[in-house]
Amino acid sequence: MTERRPPAPPGDAPTDAPARATPLFPRWANRAMGVAIAVVFVTVLAGPALLMAWVRTPDLRRQYEPVPQPVPFSHPVHVTGLRLDCRYCHATVERAASAGLPSTATCVPCHNETFMQSAVMAPVRASLATGRPVPWRRVNGVPDFVFFSHAAHVKKGVGCESCHGRVDRMAQVYQAEPLSMGWCLGCHRDPAPHLRPRAEITTMGYVAPDTLGAALMRAYAVRRLTDCTTCHR
Amino acid sequence: MSDEQRATSDGRRPAEFPPGVARPGPVLSRRDFVRLLGASAALAGVYGCSRRPDELILPYVHQPPELTPGVPQYYATAMTLDGLATGLLVESHDGRPTKVEGNPDHPASLGAAGVHEQASVLQLYDPHRSRHVRHGAQQADWDAVARLLAPVALGQRVGARGEGLRLLLEPTASPLTVALLARVRERWPAAGVHVHAPFAAPDDGDALLPLPDLTRADVVLALDADFLASGPFHLRWAHDWAVRRGAGGGPSRLYVVESGFTPTGATADHRLAVRPGELETVAAALLAGVRAARGVTSAPTAPTTADEATTAWLRAAARDLAAAAGRCVVVAGPRQSATVRLLARALNAELGNEGRTMWYVRSPLLGAGDASVGSLADLAAARDVDTLLVLGGNPVYDAPADVDVAGLLRRVPNTVHLGLYEDETARACAWHVPALHYLERWGDARAYDGTASLVQPLVAPLFGGHCADELLALVAGEATPRAHDLLQTHWRGRAGDRASGFDAFWREALRRGVIADSAAPRAASAPVPAVVPPPAAPPRAAAGTLEVVLAPCPKVHDGRFADNAWLQELPEPMTTLTWGNAAQLSPATAARLGVESGDELALGAGGRTVRVPAIVVPGVADGVAVLHAGYGRDGAEETARGVGVRAQGLFPRAARYALAGVTVARTGAHHELALTQPHWRLHGREPVRVVAPGQPVAREDAAGGTRRRALPLYERQPGAPHQWAMTIDLDRCTGCGACMVACQAENNVPVVGPEGVRDGREMHWLRIDRYYADAATDAAAAAPAGPLSVAQPMLCQHCEDAPCEYVCPVEATVHSSDGLNEMVYNRCVGTRFCSNNCPYKVRRFNWFDYNRDLGDVEALQRNPDVTVRERGVMEKCTFCVQRIREAEIRASVEGRTLGPNEVTTACAQACPTRAIVFGSLTGAGSEVARLREDPRAYAVLDELGTEPRVRYLARVRNANPALAASRAPSASEAAT
Repeated sequence: MTERRPPAPPGDAPTDAPARATPLFPRWANRAMGVAIAVVFVTVLAGPALLMAWVRTPDLRRQYEPVPQPVPFSHPVHVTGLRLDCRYCHATVERAASAGLPSTATCVPCHNETFMQSAVMAPVRASLATGRPVPWRRVNGVPDFVFFSHAAHVKKGVGCESCHGRVDRMAQVYQAEPLSMGWCLGCHRDPAPHLRPRAEITTMGYVAPDTLGAALMRAYAVRRLTDCTTCHR
Repeated sequence: MSDEQRATSDGRRPAEFPPGVARPGPVLSRRDFVRLLGASAALAGVYGCSRRPDELILPYVHQPPELTPGVPQYYATAMTLDGLATGLLVESHDGRPTKVEGNPDHPASLGAAGVHEQASVLQLYDPHRSRHVRHGAQQADWDAVARLLAPVALGQRVGARGEGLRLLLEPTASPLTVALLARVRERWPAAGVHVHAPFAAPDDGDALLPLPDLTRADVVLALDADFLASGPFHLRWAHDWAVRRGAGGGPSRLYVVESGFTPTGATADHRLAVRPGELETVAAALLAGVRAARGVTSAPTAPTTADEATTAWLRAAARDLAAAAGRCVVVAGPRQSATVRLLARALNAELGNEGRTMWYVRSPLLGAGDASVGSLADLAAARDVDTLLVLGGNPVYDAPADVDVAGLLRRVPNTVHLGLYEDETARACAWHVPALHYLERWGDARAYDGTASLVQPLVAPLFGGHCADELLALVAGEATPRAHDLLQTHWRGRAGDRASGFDAFWREALRRGVIADSAAPRAASAPVPAVVPPPAAPPRAAAGTLEVVLAPCPKVHDGRFADNAWLQELPEPMTTLTWGNAAQLSPATAARLGVESGDELALGAGGRTVRVPAIVVPGVADGVAVLHAGYGRDGAEETARGVGVRAQGLFPRAARYALAGVTVARTGAHHELALTQPHWRLHGREPVRVVAPGQPVAREDAAGGTRRRALPLYERQPGAPHQWAMTIDLDRCTGCGACMVACQAENNVPVVGPEGVRDGREMHWLRIDRYYADAATDAAAAAPAGPLSVAQPMLCQHCEDAPCEYVCPVEATVHSSDGLNEMVYNRCVGTRFCSNNCPYKVRRFNWFDYNRDLGDVEALQRNPDVTVRERGVMEKCTFCVQRIREAEIRASVEGRTLGPNEVTTACAQACPTRAIVFGSLTGAGSEVARLREDPRAYAVLDELGTEPRVRYLARVRNANPALAASRAPSASEAAT
């Protein structure tokens, strides 16, 4: 190691001075080491923490992100304006796991006269002509290992709005809630505040009286279902 | 040829999984493995953090009113095997059939479905099915076939009366097919019609089939008849037998005389193992014994058998039968000689059973009692044949060894084969037409008792194809026949006089799956022709030779299901052998030959040799080897090819099912058999219990000594309105295996292939353990009566104090409030601690991504209500939790409470004897709660204190006191 010459400190020591023992690392290395340890420490802790925070962000869940559809269907026009019930189109919500999307033929009775020849209805016309479905894009979804039943929730008095938000105000529908397991469990652990009478299922902007939840729990035989196989089978 | 032989002949290691089976990725070096492990962990992290992918929702253009997307529908149809139908209800998820159940209205099913029916849905999606019409080596089309068989062209070739036309059919009882055949013969009067199947139900010369009423039979004697687990009406017979067995007034008693060891033999109270050559003598001795016991003066002198113990057994059985005259049944096996079957008839007549417990029906099969229908041998001998239609079946593979079908097919210029696969016969034919699976076609069928059903399709043909009826109509002169129209026309002619009109008849027949009042009238008696008396003493076997029995495989039957991976991997009921066949030898025979299980034997007869591994099975008659047919396939079915040995190659026409004087030699080769139960010792535990009638089972908690409480780490959290539980009655279980296949179909259970089974990696959530009483500890196990054997379905016991739950580090297996031991796949990290701590060894680990390479077609079969598991995840029986939750939701949607007996699991639903009962312990009228209180109920490994939710009901052995040696034994040792 004697051959190694440390770099001459700036503005110091004449060249003919005898070599003296200098530290292996320069003085600033002390601080650099500290910084490096701090950076590693923060990265190890913060990296996963940031990742875990990120997966909970609305952005990753595609929450609040309007989904353009092949036909620019307006829920405000149909729900607020025409006062159509949700179940006119989502017809199987009370008897099947899937709420159901309307068949192309569902549009026809009303739209035969109105807008059928307009440009925005082109995919509907094409679907009727070719017999191929309109390719709607999914807005709300859960992973394949989650088995969700619309019928079960609706019959227990959970309104559309509780999970889907104010669809009547969405020009383009977006996912209003996180649809994460923690969010599901929030309600499954304490259903009472989220219940409403069955008659009000499709009502938008419904506010339940405080005392109603407990009564509905009894009336609809609602249980706190937190067994894993409630959803994972 | 087996896997090992393939390995040595090509000099390569055989593939770990046979083609068509889900297979793992390439073998990795350790470094690559670690590299990929790191990379995949990082990628999994990134993937897990990815945004939800775009997904499309495609609604109908016009919503069919009867269909709600996501809600399965059930259609009634029928599956035929060897010509006779079993009525089914098939579950369809959004247009794809996924699961087969029995039709409760159908007499051959009564709601149960056997292994073949359960597995048939996998065959529908078999990617190895043929997809094109073929002529020579060229792809052709249906129009070319229509031109070939058009009346003018056909007439020029086969003559005006059809002298050169031959039809080879599988046995059929379809009214439409029979009618079309009559039209063909009207058009071509000289055409020959032949029927062939290796294991079709025989009629006894006068077209009468026995139809016992087992619900009223106190004593049953089976002469080499596996009536509880095979044959066209076995689901019904197993059900009826179990009804009588479980009825008040004491259990019935079952005697079985047989050469091999079948599930029926294992269910017997007394069993006698005899060589096939002895059976006629045994039957005659029984008849003489019964006559003697009834004091019939004209009785001939009782023939005795050479063996004193056998004679004593027969005398006791004969006396027991005579004492139960009019309340007993004697059934003879379908592969026995006419002598044995007619002796059985004579026995039933002598015992006064006719019109009480024994009836007869006319065989609905084509050609029964009709000499104008020829056999395969007649066809092979025919000359000047121009056009031959092989409408189903695979005679090149399964014909008797001395019938030259290949030569016939070479000789005939125009051969047309109709079949699901390009099998051995298809390859030997000039033309091949893909057949439709029964779930894709229209047709009709009759059951064993004559009941007619319509066969309706659940799905449009996946690969194109046609059915035999359409080909027959083509030959009869129709230009563009369609099966649906043919069927409607046929039944319109027969149902037109019904008051409600044809449409109502048609809809009702399709809805119920049974055509009302179509069963054949049953006759109270059958003529008993004079029987050539069998020799008083059967010929002794020549020294050094074996008698070899050919039986249809309980799994692949005659080979038609050989491409079905579920059936290949289903353990054979008595030996637990998967993926292949072996020569079953008794321990004494094996010792005499100096062979062990897996040693290869060369069996030779008439210049033909079959090389097959041996397997030692207690209970097979000494001097006998039992071979199962259906293996050693060499067609286009990739899963089937090369699995097992073609046993049919040994048997000539004159001895189709039993061949004496077969020489045997060891070849020196050894095969590692793919067995699912390789452990042979019980270490003093008593997983199966056997009791005498009326005797309660000994329970540890009553003794108060040995039982422990498992570590109570978690508080139990009851509170749900239902507490699910199951009971399994070992006295009703025959071990047939229907529950295993039903579970596999319902729960997306993967197949691992023979190597996987050898490594102990089979994935069945429900297995059937086979226990044998040991000759060393149990006198009943000694010849000729023994051994006793009990089948035990074993599945997750859903312990209330489950040992698996408290060792899982990530809480991937937890207990539900309704008593289920839950397995959460999305939490599981694959430590396998739970499996190690499970005393019942019912947890299965996904060592590979068995579903990764699932083809588009095969994926259609998977149940969408059950998660498809991936690599590294533990899985096990869930008590069909998807059915429980579905029923709970349905009840709440309908605004009512769920009854305790309303939910059933796939295994319980399939079980023909109702041995498995599932339900809730709470609620009035709970059947499972009642059965848990039965004196025979016990818990397996109760001493561990796991408090399982599955309880077993001990096997009852209703021994005849006259057979003193056959005391009720304790099943002490497992074998094979």
